[in-house]
Amino acid sequence: MASDVRAAASDRVRRARQKARRDTRMSYLLLAPYLILLLMFGLFPIAYAFGLSFFDTIEMVFWGFTNYQFVFDDFRVPASVVNVLAFVAIWVTLTMIGVAMLSLMLDSINRKTANTLRTIYFLPGAVTSSAIVVLWLFVLDPSVSPFQPVLHTLGWGTRADVISGIGLAGVFAIMAYFSASGGWIVVFGGALSSLPTEVMEAARIDGANRFQLATRIKLPMIWRSLVLMGILSFAGGLQLFVEPQLMGLAGPQFAQNDWSLNQMAFQYAFRMGDFGASAALSTLLVGASIVIALVIVFATKFYKID
Amino acid sequence: MSTRTAPMRINPGRFVVFATLAFAVCFYGIPLLWLFIAGTRSESSLLTQSPFALGDWDSFARTWTNLTTYNNFQILTWTVNSLIYVVGGVLLSLIACIPAGYALAASEFPGRRLVLIFTLIAMITPSTAVVLPIFLELNMLGLSNTYAGLILASGFFPFGVYLTYVYFSTSLPKGVMDSARVDGANRFQLFSRIALPLARPIIALVAFFSFLGIWSNYFLAFVLLSDDKLYNLPVGLTALVSGSGALSNLPSNDVPIKKPEVVLAAILVVLPVLLIFMAAQRFVRSGMLSGAEKG
Repeated sequence: MASDVRAAASDRVRRARQKARRDTRMSYLLLAPYLILLLMFGLFPIAYAFGLSFFDTIEMVFWGFTNYQFVFDDFRVPASVVNVLAFVAIWVTLTMIGVAMLSLMLDSINRKTANTLRTIYFLPGAVTSSAIVVLWLFVLDPSVSPFQPVLHTLGWGTRADVISGIGLAGVFAIMAYFSASGGWIVVFGGALSSLPTEVMEAARIDGANRFQLATRIKLPMIWRSLVLMGILSFAGGLQLFVEPQLMGLAGPQFAQNDWSLNQMAFQYAFRMGDFGASAALSTLLVGASIVIALVIVFATKFYKID
Repeated sequence: MSTRTAPMRINPGRFVVFATLAFAVCFYGIPLLWLFIAGTRSESSLLTQSPFALGDWDSFARTWTNLTTYNNFQILTWTVNSLIYVVGGVLLSLIACIPAGYALAASEFPGRRLVLIFTLIAMITPSTAVVLPIFLELNMLGLSNTYAGLILASGFFPFGVYLTYVYFSTSLPKGVMDSARVDGANRFQLFSRIALPLARPIIALVAFFSFLGIWSNYFLAFVLLSDDKLYNLPVGLTALVSGSGALSNLPSNDVPIKKPEVVLAAILVVLPVLLIFMAAQRFVRSGMLSGAEKG
């Protein structure tokens, strides 16, 4: 009797285990295409670049940290670090203040007008990558610019005047802000409109005016999301490439081929054929991004894992 | 007299709000408006007339012919290439993202948390950070400068997996799933018979974001593709400008690509995204902060 029960029980356990194994296999089957891509374009390239960064890729011999040494000794690298940090500082500030201010202002006016304005702010998001630079090279050229009167008032007669007047970091920040901020304004429009109305009502009854409502109640409620936007912009900004790379479209005197870090990594691989140095600099850049990502995933609760 | 009309209250706070919003309308709106008007104007009109002077049909037609016929209809090749990259990349990303997001949301298995964490890290890491490593890898595999290389690389879309995962975590009908399970349906049948029919909104959302990323991909395409017959539109646009010097204000040459042609090419890059944006603004709202806690 007892052994029968035990046999039946162990049979059940075995069947359950079999089923679990089958389920796991099925889950991995569903995941397979994605896991292959994750391996090919997430993990492997990073590992490969990391490995490559320790080799003299021309002779294919291991030489330790020589590539890193080479990158740090290149006088253009510290200069591009300063450039990129200046760009990121301006861009992140512009984005945080601009998006917060416009979102809060839109939330305080009537809904229909706000929606129309939000759409207008959002549409430049369609202008991306090379098209942003081409468009802004026109806009910054006083001979054709739609802002011609403004540029002339500021005493800028040529594109070179405008660019040196604003500064390259500022020019790139304006280009990036023009395209990327509208999407965030739409997102924060949604977030603000879903804030609990009781809190707003209570504050209004207590005599808060619209300005106090915006700065004391709404702003603290969206603050965490604003910070997330700031961090994501910071991480993206470190990788700046397209804007400086395409300045040369305006003519050789505007070319900025080693302005940002990613451009330097590109220069090493494509102008000098030195894949090892390129891999070393890329590894450092990817490393910085991954550290930021780890902080967001583990130190904040922005994204749900379970 | 003055008592009869409602007193005109000039509230300085409201004035600042509307002035700022109006300023922003100019900043965001004017360059875009200018771009679309400039496409209809001639080179001399751009340089001598007021910035918003309208063009005419003749100049537009001439610009269009100059642009499309230039270099043996090169821009059409690039447009077709862009379509190939977009269709291939979006399909691949859907094939990879939808089942993966479903598996992560609907089942427990060893390694699940690890896959989720890798997905989040890959999603937060800007895709531009991995462009040169991907080039080094594809170069080794002999896949740089091919359609397949760019399509494969753009099919990797961790954000899509995460969106799908969040979607299925909240929308799968637990009761129906459980009873189908009891009736002996296996995991694959659950996916194809119950989850997929529910997945239409998430498929559209993932396709939307994947399209945006692939259509406007410049950096990766620029690095991977060295043959100008394989360029996509964003890379083609810059090749057009640098090949003609149209933006450099130098003494003119006899290349038929001038400012109006460049404007028109830029419109070709921008217009499809613009149309999709207008049709699907709400997608952005639901997608961009999806899963992030409010406030």
